[in-house]
Amino acid sequence: MHQRECIAMLLAGGQGSRLGYLTRRVAKPALSFGGKYRVIDFSLSNCANSNIDTVGVLTQYKPYALHSYIGSGGAWDLNDKFGGGVHILPPFVGEDGGSWYKGTADAIYHNIDFINFYNPIYVLIISGDHIYKMNYELLIRQHKNTGADVTVSAIEVAWEEASRFGIITPDATDRIIRFAEKPAQPDSNLASMGVYVFNWPVLKKALLEDQENPASDNDFGKNVLPMLLEQGKKLFVYKFNEYWVDVGTVQSYYQANMELLLPEPPLNIFGPGFKIFSNEEILPPHYIGPDARISNSLICNGCTVLGEVKNSILAPGVYIDEGVWVEDSIILSNTRIGNKSRIRKAIIGESVEIKANCSLGICTGDEHNRSLITCVEDNLTIFDGALIRAGENI
Amino acid sequence: MSRTIGIISGNRRSGYLQGIDKQRPLAAVPFGGRYRLLDFALSSMVNSGLRTVGIITPSNYRPILDELGSGKEWQLDRKSGGLFILPGVNWGLAVWDKVFLLKDIAKNFEYLENDLSEYVLLCGCNQIFNIDFNEAIAFHEQNHADVTLIYKAIKKEEWQTLKGTILKMSPEGRVGGSMTGEEATGAYMELPFFIDMVVINRTLLMEVIQGYVAVEDADLLEAIFENKGMLSIFGFPFRGYFARIESINDFFKSNMDLLNYDVRNELFWGVNRVHTKSRDNPPTHYSDNALIRNSLVASGCNIQGALENCIVSRNVQVAGDTHIKNSIIMRRCNIGKNVILENVILDNYVVIHEGTILKGQGNTPVVINKRAVI
Repeated sequence: MHQRECIAMLLAGGQGSRLGYLTRRVAKPALSFGGKYRVIDFSLSNCANSNIDTVGVLTQYKPYALHSYIGSGGAWDLNDKFGGGVHILPPFVGEDGGSWYKGTADAIYHNIDFINFYNPIYVLIISGDHIYKMNYELLIRQHKNTGADVTVSAIEVAWEEASRFGIITPDATDRIIRFAEKPAQPDSNLASMGVYVFNWPVLKKALLEDQENPASDNDFGKNVLPMLLEQGKKLFVYKFNEYWVDVGTVQSYYQANMELLLPEPPLNIFGPGFKIFSNEEILPPHYIGPDARISNSLICNGCTVLGEVKNSILAPGVYIDEGVWVEDSIILSNTRIGNKSRIRKAIIGESVEIKANCSLGICTGDEHNRSLITCVEDNLTIFDGALIRAGENI
Repeated sequence: MSRTIGIISGNRRSGYLQGIDKQRPLAAVPFGGRYRLLDFALSSMVNSGLRTVGIITPSNYRPILDELGSGKEWQLDRKSGGLFILPGVNWGLAVWDKVFLLKDIAKNFEYLENDLSEYVLLCGCNQIFNIDFNEAIAFHEQNHADVTLIYKAIKKEEWQTLKGTILKMSPEGRVGGSMTGEEATGAYMELPFFIDMVVINRTLLMEVIQGYVAVEDADLLEAIFENKGMLSIFGFPFRGYFARIESINDFFKSNMDLLNYDVRNELFWGVNRVHTKSRDNPPTHYSDNALIRNSLVASGCNIQGALENCIVSRNVQVAGDTHIKNSIIMRRCNIGKNVILENVILDNYVVIHEGTILKGQGNTPVVINKRAVI
């Protein structure tokens, strides 16, 4: 009765430890992106736009902000009572105790009962850490047509970066012959995106076998996929050639945001169709004051801009006071920048209060500091006249 | 749950909006970049704890339903109570200017009959405010009133532009009828101007409707004043920002009021928010040469030109070398290069081609109707 052809399991437990101060309070999927979005909006919107109506969201690290943000899933039209909707799946205890999710495969293993309830033919495994617009229907269609057991979605990356990813080597028919997690000498530049379609019986069997292996890290890339290859299962690669980025580090987070300000941004959030939904608070339009100056910037609802903003992104509800100068920065929601403060190349967290006459990310003669990004953690107050040098994190 | 249910009287047309309410009900006229007029009454009702609200609609109700949907944004998609669409009567010769037409409510009598709440809060649909109705309802209860009329004290000269009903009030706050501004002689420094908000006991409202069933085009306020001898009627003051949109000048002026810090702060950043339909637009992008002064801009726009004293709605495109001043630009307008606009109101989907110059006067803005191409 509850059967679905395909359900999605969204891995949203990632800490994003390389994002440092940005993810100290929230999990990486709950991190703000592009002003009004949060990272998880992209995966959830992809599901909504791909006719996937049942999504299990696996959470673990600092889940409160994420849980309250996802709510009933209505913001992504995933509260469909005829469909399954969104289910939040944190770690839990059973008769023989409980444990945290150890790896990606372990997280799915603990929710076998959930998947059994919907008894799908296919299980789509995705991550809440990536910025991309993808129609999963095309991936699933290829999976059906090739008769694969598993289809792994992959994207071409620059050769010099290939050793940071799980690298897939396919044959001429796109069947995978080798899967190497972060190889030192990659023989392909097709990187796994962490998006997989499994036939449910194959996945279930693999998860049970993987749990039996005490040496396993219970990770899809490291353990489960190589094991299935060894068993001679049919693994195919789906080549995705649009924008995809893992905002894993402060540098890549900053860069992915700033790319939205390019004349032709690689990720098109402005075009019609395939909209990225978000659970936004309804705020009034933004106000630009009589002496404000704005150039090449993205400004969200609820902002007030009285000063100068250049090459920057302002999330909802940001207040920029008179005489303020902001350049090359990302300012997250409900933050206030006080009179005559100056901010350059910085990521300022949510609900930060920067008082008057502060300087952030300003270089003091040391030219190599210019390229460093300054980060300010959520909810901080920075008092009058503070000086925070380029590259400092507080 | 609240002991009060709401009715928004939306079966209205103005006739003085120069075509802006030609294809849409007055209640659905766009306002302030992302709102429609009825958002203000509806938001204040739900922010005051009401969870049963009926909207009386005219026959061209499509834009109202488009805005409200299931009432999700106002938390009115509920099992108990929720949002009710109450079809109003068709407009006759002189009916569309009555605020609380009893026929409209009579046609939806079951809405009142089926509810067990104590009070009904009725509110007009063309006013801008952010009010906590709980204060008026508490006042109504304390005074054991039959009817409480909410008013705003205005200066005598303001009445000339506002029109409408002035209440005759005793020093104890009782209302003894209405008068016109001319009747209010020198003694009155401030006039209690009725702002189309009524708290009335539900059973009394049902009696009034049944009593006036035979009277053509009877209005609730007139009916109350006809029976003032039998009723305990009180006036309750509202002291916040208030604007009523009857004419194109009202519309222009109250939109421009939003450029005032105090007005914006009070309407939008007080304890309670004004809710509206969410359309999930991306942020607005300003390019290198954009020059913006004193303007309110909604989401999803792409601005390359210059704006001064403007209210710009969602998904508007403004090309480079274009100057727009003192204007209201509604949803999805597309304005080409080298255009000059001054004192102009553009309705939705208007296209202005390269090189066009349009200038209105401060008191009489040029109004360009929906989907026009210029």
